[in-house]
Amino acid sequence: MTGTWVPATQLVLVAGAFAPAGWFKLFGRGSAVVARRSALGRLTGKDRAVRAFRLVGAVELVLAAALLVPPLAPAAPIAAAAWSLAMLGYLGYAKWSAPESSCGCMSAKETPIGVRSFARAALLVAASALGVLSTAPWPVVLSGNPVPMLGSLVLEAALFVVLSAELDAYWVFPLRRFRARLRHPLRDAATGDVPVQASLHQLHRSPAYRSVHDLMRSTLLDSWDEGEWRMLTFSARQDGRRAIAVFAVPLREYEPERVRVALVDDPESEPAPAG
Amino acid sequence: MSTVDRRRFLSKAVLGTAAGVVGATALGSVSPEVALAEQQANVGLGADLYDPNFVEGRITAIKGTVLWVTSSDRSFHRIHVTTATSVWKLRHTTFADAAVGDGLYARGVRLDDGTLAADSVWLNIVNLRTTIVGMAPNMLHLDSGTERVVAHVVPGTSAAVYNGTPAVRDMSGVRVGRHAQVIGAWRPDTNEVDVSTLYTSAA
Repeated sequence: MTGTWVPATQLVLVAGAFAPAGWFKLFGRGSAVVARRSALGRLTGKDRAVRAFRLVGAVELVLAAALLVPPLAPAAPIAAAAWSLAMLGYLGYAKWSAPESSCGCMSAKETPIGVRSFARAALLVAASALGVLSTAPWPVVLSGNPVPMLGSLVLEAALFVVLSAELDAYWVFPLRRFRARLRHPLRDAATGDVPVQASLHQLHRSPAYRSVHDLMRSTLLDSWDEGEWRMLTFSARQDGRRAIAVFAVPLREYEPERVRVALVDDPESEPAPAG
Repeated sequence: MSTVDRRRFLSKAVLGTAAGVVGATALGSVSPEVALAEQQANVGLGADLYDPNFVEGRITAIKGTVLWVTSSDRSFHRIHVTTATSVWKLRHTTFADAAVGDGLYARGVRLDDGTLAADSVWLNIVNLRTTIVGMAPNMLHLDSGTERVVAHVVPGTSAAVYNGTPAVRDMSGVRVGRHAQVIGAWRPDTNEVDVSTLYTSAA
């Protein structure tokens, strides 16, 4: 029996990949939305995308079950290999026809179709093809070679997870968060100054801004600091003349009611363009 | 008038020296009625009508103070920029920073000769709704759902807004895995942006 555990392992792996994918497509929350956004709509038409998506899910669930039922070997792995190959083709078509679409393969998480998607589909093709060689029912093989079979299953499953962009949130993000907690990559960005965005935030909530808002024509023209004040200027128009709206916003405190405003004639006023 | 003189003049106007405080209440003439009367008539554009006072496109040439712009529908526009025009390119800046190839949005008034007198010009501005998927020194990796975007943090310009509170320079509250809305400047013909403001949730 030595050596037969390699194909048998593949049956379990492929079944383990198809089952959650099919389950999500058939019963998952948000699967209808994913179906409409996926490139499947281009093949079947938008109206039928959801039904086609559910059909794909049903096929995957049936394949997963068939792979695990020993009497159906070797027909099941052949069908699984053909199905995986079709998936690879579909990914290629999706990348070519709608590069901005999401794979929608395994979860509602939108992920771009990239190198990893293709590698994962190729992994399933290879595993299914290898599974065709299986000669004995996998539970029998498992009881005969539990350590190599379980070991390789864990390794291959890990490879599958690494190739699944949908699952990044479960292992890549925690790792990167942990690294950032040790040493945050953006820790040097902090400087003592007050961002102009903060002054604008305060300005937009001030009575002074509301009183002249309808006269203003442009967004921020210029800004500078004057002691405890941040000065902000805008183009304005008053009585048909060009003017400058000058605001003084408290620099360090958040006190919108203290914001001051003056409308002055533009000191560099050019004649407004005719028209 | 130099920039320094101009700023001094404008500072004096609002902060006052002898004239005292010029507050919102001191502007008696700026009542809502007056302000509304100054507004242009609302022309009631429908969703399928194009707004003559707005231009979107890319700069194909710069002739003096006129920008030549080709829109994504292949229409061609000429845009006047004056000293009263606000120009944004990652930060508020001046017309001198405009370059051929920049993406552009402009709002202003359409003149009789078909050109646009711009009140505001935004260059390369983008608004991205993303998930933060990675960080490196002065760099963020963002996932828009369909595309990976590299966002550069520009010290002294980029700011973070946590939970809608006023913007700060401190970016150390940014977390991988969280949602981030980024207002930034696209680097033309790349998938990279420079961050102006990053809106995210606090830790």
